[in-house]
Amino acid sequence: MAKESFDKEIQFLRMLVLTSGAFSRQQFAERLGISVHTFDKTIRRLKDVISSMHQHLPQEQSAELSETIRFSYYDSTDPLLLFLFRAKSVKESESQRISLLLAAMNEQALTTMELLDMCCDSLPSGLPLPDEKTIRSDLKYLEEVGVILKEPGPRPYRYRIQDDLVRSLSEEELIDLYDFVDVMANTQVPSVQGYLLRDGLKKHLLRGEFEQHAIEPFLYKYHYYSRILDEAHLFTLLHAIRHRRRVRFLYFSPKSEKSYASKNTNPLFERDTAGKAQKTLPLKIVYDHQYGRWYLLSHGREGIRKYRMEGITQIEEDESVDEAWYEEKKNELEEKLRYSWLIDTGKPVTVRVRFYNPGDSEPNFVKERVLLQGQWGQIVLEDEYSFIYEITVNGTTEIKPWLRSFGSSCEVLEPIRFRREMIAEWKEIKSYYESV
Amino acid sequence: MNLFEKIFNHQIISRLEDSGTFMVTSHERTWLKTMLEHHPAAAEAFTLDTLNKLRTILEPDPLMDTSSHLIEKARSMEKQVYHPLLRTLRQHILNKSGVRLTYAIKSGRVNSEQSGVPYKLEYSMVKREWYLLWYHFRHRTFMITRLKKIHSVRAEPIEPSMADGIFRKIGRMLDSRKSEAVIEIVRDYNEELSRILYAFSSFEKDVEYDSDNDTYTVRVCLLGDEFEYLLSKIRFLGKRVRVVEGDYLKRRMLEASTKALERYGVISEGEELSS
Repeated sequence: MAKESFDKEIQFLRMLVLTSGAFSRQQFAERLGISVHTFDKTIRRLKDVISSMHQHLPQEQSAELSETIRFSYYDSTDPLLLFLFRAKSVKESESQRISLLLAAMNEQALTTMELLDMCCDSLPSGLPLPDEKTIRSDLKYLEEVGVILKEPGPRPYRYRIQDDLVRSLSEEELIDLYDFVDVMANTQVPSVQGYLLRDGLKKHLLRGEFEQHAIEPFLYKYHYYSRILDEAHLFTLLHAIRHRRRVRFLYFSPKSEKSYASKNTNPLFERDTAGKAQKTLPLKIVYDHQYGRWYLLSHGREGIRKYRMEGITQIEEDESVDEAWYEEKKNELEEKLRYSWLIDTGKPVTVRVRFYNPGDSEPNFVKERVLLQGQWGQIVLEDEYSFIYEITVNGTTEIKPWLRSFGSSCEVLEPIRFRREMIAEWKEIKSYYESV
Repeated sequence: MNLFEKIFNHQIISRLEDSGTFMVTSHERTWLKTMLEHHPAAAEAFTLDTLNKLRTILEPDPLMDTSSHLIEKARSMEKQVYHPLLRTLRQHILNKSGVRLTYAIKSGRVNSEQSGVPYKLEYSMVKREWYLLWYHFRHRTFMITRLKKIHSVRAEPIEPSMADGIFRKIGRMLDSRKSEAVIEIVRDYNEELSRILYAFSSFEKDVEYDSDNDTYTVRVCLLGDEFEYLLSKIRFLGKRVRVVEGDYLKRRMLEASTKALERYGVISEGEELSS
């Protein structure tokens, strides 16, 4: 069976979230490298998934999808983009059957034959009736994903749903668990499994006595909620790393206008895509908290290669490599990344900066922020008005935006070239606003 | 581990919901187990009893090895993910109870025994700290207080209908405080569009594209207390973006760039740059 690829949906949703309504259908389709027809089909499909997951959302046909998934801070803390991971296609008959099986095993432990009888009795007419083999393979699948378990005892085996997580906890404990899952999914990476679990627990609690308000006590400010789109590739890449396998994919540099190319088998419709076929050996994954973005760092023919997760499509595993050699490459990379503010593996340089404390009456929020975000840098000197911060980093490109974000509370002292760059940038920024 | 499992399919999920079935996969349990084992927050989040129960339930599930292959960069120091008061305050929100708070304010002064209603708990991903959002009865205002500034809290019964009314009022207050700023992406940097939009993706926003001029603008919707953070983001992006609507932001950007140049000794105080 062909593995369903979600590349199109991922790219589609990313563009929708980032550009929220900037483009017409035509422009949007062009940028994705798909036809307007495919665009409409994809929108319909995504809307179907959303509407079955979120009954409270407006469902007029006219409701723009971008409106639907527009981030609104105080409305709900449900990560709407989670519906991407609910989009796997399942035949109607199969989804009916699996739901029936689980509901039956929810009440008691049953044997394969009992489940088969139950299914034949309860499936709506018009759907094909399952045979024993089908039920057995359903049960095998459900056991594999850990949703049910086989009870100990003689044949014929009995199966029951594996829901100890909710069954053995008191209501108060369930609230504690839900809160913990909510906090961790929102503040840690990876988080998709956490969000899926949160979703299940939330529905479970709402079936009880709880109101919506009681179930959503937490907010997370300045949270990059679109980061979960890239987690779609994360586990594929982790699998490759664990097994020391090369991967192949079609890569779209984020600087290119197109971010997806449909696989056209009809040569009439073949077009030049901006994507480049890549083959590379994954070594490490990097998550960048500054932007909420993911990177793949790998070993290719020219040494270390860096890819943005958002540009990776049609990913496939390839052959594995020698263990000792792989470890060596990984250690080399780790060594090179030690002084990367993000992922720069250039030459290390020592940056010296003077930070100015705010006025007397205020808490020293400048120093607080430097201590919080300054990574491995050190405060080496302090007086009443200012302090000197020193850090060794690979190149100055990646640390520059952070230093610039402090505005006039920060003065770069060394390297002198870096100092000059900062002066030139402030001159230019000042020119933007001089006519205010 | 595949995140696109058949079992996560939306039709299956909504059918299970109809039949009231709780379903959990080993993927989710593995994630939970990893968070419980690897994070100090677990000790703050549960009683020892519950923690032991969870560990027993999750015993057969494996741990994730993600952390050995994943490097997190530019992360703020994680001072705390849980705060000792989090569970208590959360209980009061759950019970729609009022509270009496004793807390310190900026000047260091302590406000004792102030009556109010807790609304929500907010975690700042930037400051890595918890805040209580609440309504202050006597001042009739919406308050934001750091959990670490709260000395004591105790429940004070109020009518549930009263709590509902106050939550609606808070909603209206927040709506009335919303304002907008419009930021243009300087066209020379359109190549970096994706990165710039990522930087703004933690705000409520709309993006507009003017195809005649090939120019993007971002309309950010924010509350009054978020201006400082937005400014730091605008300075973070430097020459790539320009504020086109929002006098306060424009003035602050002019101030920041002028003062920065004074620090560098490029212009002396009060002097205008001759271009």
